[in-house]
Amino acid sequence: MPGTPSDSAHHCSDHGGEHPTVLDLPYVPLSLKREWLEAETRRHFLARGSKALAWAGLATLLGRSAPHLLADTAALPDRRPLFAPKAKRAIYLFMAGAPSQFETWDYKPKLAGMFAQNLPESVRGGQVLTGMTASQAGLPIAPSFYKFAQQGKSGTWVSELFPWTGKVVDDICLIKSLYTEAINHEPAILTMTTGNMFPGKPSLGSWLAYGLGAINEELPTFVVMTSKIPIKENVQALSNRLWSSGFLSPEYSAVALRSGSEPVLYLQDPKGVGRDVRRSMIDGVNELNQQLFERVGDPEINTRISQYEMAFRMQTSVPELNDFSDEPASTWDLYGPKAKEPGTFAYNCLMARRLAERGVRFTQVFLRTWDNHTKLPAHIRVMCEDSDRPTYGLITDLKRRGMLDDTLVIWGGEFGRTVYSQGKLEADNYGRDHHPRCFSMWMCGAGTKPGMTYGETDDFSYNIVKDPVHVRDLHATILHQFGFNHNKLTFKFQGLDQKLTGVLPARVIREVLA
Amino acid sequence: MASASRGWAEPGTFADSVAPVLEHNCSKCHGATKQKAGLRLDSNAAVLRGSDDGQVVKPGDAGGSELFRRITLPPADDDFMPSGDRPPLSPAEILVLESWIAAGAPSTAAFEVARPGLAVVEPPAAPDYRPRLAEATALARTLGVRLVPRSRVPTDGLVLRTASAPANCDDEVLAKLAPIADLIVEAELARTRVTDRGMEAVGRWANLVSIDLTHTAVTSDGIARLTTLARLESLNLTSTKVDSRGLALVRKLPALREVWAFGTP
Repeated sequence: MPGTPSDSAHHCSDHGGEHPTVLDLPYVPLSLKREWLEAETRRHFLARGSKALAWAGLATLLGRSAPHLLADTAALPDRRPLFAPKAKRAIYLFMAGAPSQFETWDYKPKLAGMFAQNLPESVRGGQVLTGMTASQAGLPIAPSFYKFAQQGKSGTWVSELFPWTGKVVDDICLIKSLYTEAINHEPAILTMTTGNMFPGKPSLGSWLAYGLGAINEELPTFVVMTSKIPIKENVQALSNRLWSSGFLSPEYSAVALRSGSEPVLYLQDPKGVGRDVRRSMIDGVNELNQQLFERVGDPEINTRISQYEMAFRMQTSVPELNDFSDEPASTWDLYGPKAKEPGTFAYNCLMARRLAERGVRFTQVFLRTWDNHTKLPAHIRVMCEDSDRPTYGLITDLKRRGMLDDTLVIWGGEFGRTVYSQGKLEADNYGRDHHPRCFSMWMCGAGTKPGMTYGETDDFSYNIVKDPVHVRDLHATILHQFGFNHNKLTFKFQGLDQKLTGVLPARVIREVLA
Repeated sequence: MASASRGWAEPGTFADSVAPVLEHNCSKCHGATKQKAGLRLDSNAAVLRGSDDGQVVKPGDAGGSELFRRITLPPADDDFMPSGDRPPLSPAEILVLESWIAAGAPSTAAFEVARPGLAVVEPPAAPDYRPRLAEATALARTLGVRLVPRSRVPTDGLVLRTASAPANCDDEVLAKLAPIADLIVEAELARTRVTDRGMEAVGRWANLVSIDLTHTAVTSDGIARLTTLARLESLNLTSTKVDSRGLALVRKLPALREVWAFGTP
């Protein structure tokens, strides 16, 4: 126990001159101090136990250094899913900037005859528009510049912009009735990634890492990759708020992989520093951190210990991950030639498969510049050309390797776009503003219903007319596929049992599950 | 919820048959110390009195009784009981409550308690792992692999997990897993050092439902040793040396639904 009185004469009446501990702090409620004391006692017992084991030469059997064992004893959730899960891992293809549903997945044939007509007031229903189009003289209807055709046995309507994805449309479960409250990128993308439009909440991947733990302890549980931007205009910022663990322990944050020869910076040992030297250095740092933890009891110190350990393990696991030389020639046929260029969306899709194969629970690949306020026909073509084939490649690759059964693939942005043109409407040129009332997404694999289309919007894809799906319903459904009840995957913070889906009721969309 | 087919019936009373089930599963929250939702389930009268929201048992109508509805929901449902991390009632326990309510929820009179037959509609994936979880975990640690519960349902079995250190897992390890082999439902063996010899042991893992042998040295000779697996549904042979002979052999597997052979000869 800290607080052993020292022999030297110390003059303070309330302590013996030792380092201060939580117990010495004023204003800390007695109950909390008691809790800390109990944890402290338990930890000391374990510390002595594991040190004794180490002396007995058993530490090698356990395969871990003693400090790491201690880090593991910090309060962990019960890592067992509530029921046997369909999904072991997920790959989320995040189309940042919000792809227009009109040119991609929500076919609206009646609009063709309404070119340039003003959007009926009855459809808009008094909705407040963004500052970008609220002052426009009119709201001229812009039909899709691109054609659609029914594909697959399911007969799903597929845009001509998706010649590749169209081939696997029978594997996809399309939802055309997503909606959100946020009308601007940052709050909308935060809602999508963390369930809440205010920063500070844990992201979906963090909740899964917290709830399920790792399949492969040599790699992070949650990985994020951002892709090279296909268009150099109107680029939205991404920040690590979107993959932060919020109030959960920072070890559940994503590790953001860079593209190229060094996916994680400073991972290589400096010249002359061997693996054993690195190990003993980390052991030393852990020991110091351990001493600090014993003194102040801050659980963040345990996180730091576990992060050192993760970095050490990634020193061997990441180079292997990054070496694509073992890929068969057929890989490049699937994902397309761009997959050889580090950092492209195609490369990241292939990397996502490699991560899933090695047991990474949740991989989120961001592709930006879908925010086509202007020059939409030209720009969305570039976006689809960049992403269509790799998306097809990923699904096909997972399927042929038997991984689509337990890997959930998710595709979508943060909101939809308006039926009316932002700015001047021409036959082959227009723009679309933000639209939160409806947008399209799809899921694939891990027990979702293949070849299904769920939800309907009105003729203007302005309002949902059937089977609305809020973002929190989507989240509840994703958690369900991982074996969790969204109401029961919680973490106590600020006096509430916090959860991904928040306090409003959310529903698992059972209709889209096989 | 798996419902057991009726095998036979035996006489029971509230005190002998029903009370122990309620005591075991419900008393922590609905007993003498705590009465969540104002509900006590520790006496016949209390059960019939119901909760703050009204009646929970409709004598004579199990299907229309809130108590019965809640214990037979999917465990993921918000309304599912027992709540929290407590395991669901067993099919036999559910039958006891169902028979009692159906008989009119008698307080002292005897009624027929249905007992599950040998054949159940949805048999459990594996025996209850709870009494042997510590043994399994210790064994796994010694062998450098992991054995983790598939879920909190104690009869959902264990996953054999090797992804952290595939090189640790070889034929010896598979043989040494014999003491807990009946608990293994999923075997994740991709990239491990297992060979045909190890499939000898795996062929005795009677409750195995899925096995992933991706990137292993297993050949058709190994597959020949797996044909005993009556419950195997999913077999991943991606990038193995299994040829057409092995793929013909898998047809013998009665429960097999999916086999993947991408990257094989």
